[in-house]
Amino acid sequence: MSFKIINKQILAEGVKRIDIVAPNIARKVLPGQFVSVCPEEDDEHIPLAVTSSDPQKGYISLIFPELGQTTRKLGALHINESIFSILGPLGRPARIEKKGVVVCIATGIGIAQILPICRAFKNNGSKVIGIIGAKTKKALMLEPQMRLACHKIIIATDDGSFEQRGLATEIFEKFLGQNKVDLVYAIGAVDMMRRVCSLTAQKRIETLVRVNPVMVDCMGMCGSCRVKIDGEMVLACVKGPEFDGHKVDFDDLDIRMNAYEESEEWRNRQSTYKPKRDESKILAKFLSGFQRK
Amino acid sequence: MGIDIPRFIRSLREEKLNDAYEKIREKNCFPSICGRICSAPCEAACILNEEGAPPIGIRALERYAADFGKSKITRRNQPFLGGKKIAVVGSGPAGLTAASELAQRGYQVTVFESFDKPGGILRYGIPEFRIPKRVLDNEINEIRALGVKIEVNFLIGHTVTLDELIHQDFAAVLLATGAGIPKFMDIPGVSLGGVYYGEEFLMRVNRAKGPLFLRRLDKLPVGKRIAVIGSGNTALDCARTGVRLGREVTLIFRRTEEDMRVKREERIYAHEEGIRFEPMVKPVEILADPSRFVGGLKCVRMDFADADGSGEWKLVQVSDSEFILDADTVVIAVGHNPNSLVGKNVSHLKVNQDGTFKVDEKSGQTTVPKVFAAGNVRTNASSLIDALASGKKVAEEMDAHLK
Repeated sequence: MSFKIINKQILAEGVKRIDIVAPNIARKVLPGQFVSVCPEEDDEHIPLAVTSSDPQKGYISLIFPELGQTTRKLGALHINESIFSILGPLGRPARIEKKGVVVCIATGIGIAQILPICRAFKNNGSKVIGIIGAKTKKALMLEPQMRLACHKIIIATDDGSFEQRGLATEIFEKFLGQNKVDLVYAIGAVDMMRRVCSLTAQKRIETLVRVNPVMVDCMGMCGSCRVKIDGEMVLACVKGPEFDGHKVDFDDLDIRMNAYEESEEWRNRQSTYKPKRDESKILAKFLSGFQRK
Repeated sequence: MGIDIPRFIRSLREEKLNDAYEKIREKNCFPSICGRICSAPCEAACILNEEGAPPIGIRALERYAADFGKSKITRRNQPFLGGKKIAVVGSGPAGLTAASELAQRGYQVTVFESFDKPGGILRYGIPEFRIPKRVLDNEINEIRALGVKIEVNFLIGHTVTLDELIHQDFAAVLLATGAGIPKFMDIPGVSLGGVYYGEEFLMRVNRAKGPLFLRRLDKLPVGKRIAVIGSGNTALDCARTGVRLGREVTLIFRRTEEDMRVKREERIYAHEEGIRFEPMVKPVEILADPSRFVGGLKCVRMDFADADGSGEWKLVQVSDSEFILDADTVVIAVGHNPNSLVGKNVSHLKVNQDGTFKVDEKSGQTTVPKVFAAGNVRTNASSLIDALASGKKVAEEMDAHLK
């Protein structure tokens, strides 16, 4: 099965969107699920959230920032080229229930993940308030789509280059003081989710968060995406990635998120491994086996 | 497995390499892999043991025959397509053995694999220096030549659910999802950076490009001194992989060295490669450094003692024997549980306490009709040969059920 790219778009600074033909996945995917993508053979697999899908045409859209090596490779692929492997849909779908007022907060790349959830809540009949934040106007993405998916949208930029100046959490705090909220959905950096959860914990508002730890196989086999929920280790790829925000141990999550930041000292370490026996002799001995009849 | 070993050895002695290969291939579909990594219960059962002599190295003979013998078996048995359709979930050793057995009996077999290449644990759990990927590809191509169709990137339970699979025109479904869930270790500090589970460590290395003499891995920070916890094959594989990455490796385990669940040869190789063994040591806590990576490993020594005076010698902690092992990466490989996640959303598929599927021993069926189980999700054994034997057995059971 080949996964052909049929459309590609640059959304913001360093953020790209690609549409991929994957009928099996498009048929099944629900809001909040993700896929595991590997652009080339024998490469790293990375989890990416599915932003939208079209079961009739059989394609899925993925939005990703070009940060690491694998996402850069993925971003370098052109239309009509194929991706080596996509596995999905993985993870549990988001719990979409009809609530009165739902506040969806997202910053940075989290906006791409919250968009299908906003759409689902709106289709379900809830009133959706979107609060999205970015560093600058250039880094803000999917703003028109979010406007359509929410009943009301508040946009915050750190330097005030677009709409309101300030952090998304500050605006959320202000909003929470003035309005009645039934459910809060937060996706973004760990600090942002921790702040949102501490705010809602005071008012006992149900809060859902989506965690994005590093995953290797995305099927519950490696254990790299373990997070502490309610004092218990669970795998985010199987039980998540959506969790009750008040139960997540954010200190632990912070450690796990930074666990793969490689220090320069560890890179390119020379090997001290030396084979004891003469390898050329072994090779000659091995090759002599082919000369037999 | 029912291999006729005396005849196999006789053919080899008469220098009929192809006959020997055919002899072994008709019963075992992974001869060159078994020749490399099998735990060789046949050597333990060899009659020479009783006479005090070392057993015949059947494993080495098998490897020789499989690597150099050429078989006509696949060419002779032209794939016959027309039997009932069977779906096999998982392309590990058990799944592929069952698939090839069933294909030889004339069934149309489709294997569903969730990774991008077939092979399961043979590809992703066992490093290149134990099973070269080229050998594995050859073995899988042999199985493909029998008419087995392999669908990759297909996670049963997500891409297609088990119910949908049963309601399609598959006459039977075989679950052979293997043992992939790592056992979590409950000591303080397991979420620090630089702590990996054995599966993750091996998977990262095996999935990387240029597998054997690779010195650098992206997004896998590995420090200078690795401490590997565990005494099984996975732990030893992790340790030997670590040596090949150019690191100093210490292997920590609770039992004595003779009690390790690995072959003696493997242990000798590990010693030769310079892995430091620390037997009878129990890790207590993983210490953190200021940047929240591993700074050390606090351990205690264990020793046999008759603690409660009942005459039973048990491993107990030696008092005041705490010491800190200097390590900046910890790999935990203390075993794994069966991967029964495929039945997560199927309520009538019953799962036992230890994670295996509930299987009727007579018919081999799980609690869902038409669904069978084989390999680690059924037996919860860990050796390769058990998985192969289970695959063969379930193929017979399925054949009997479908007739």
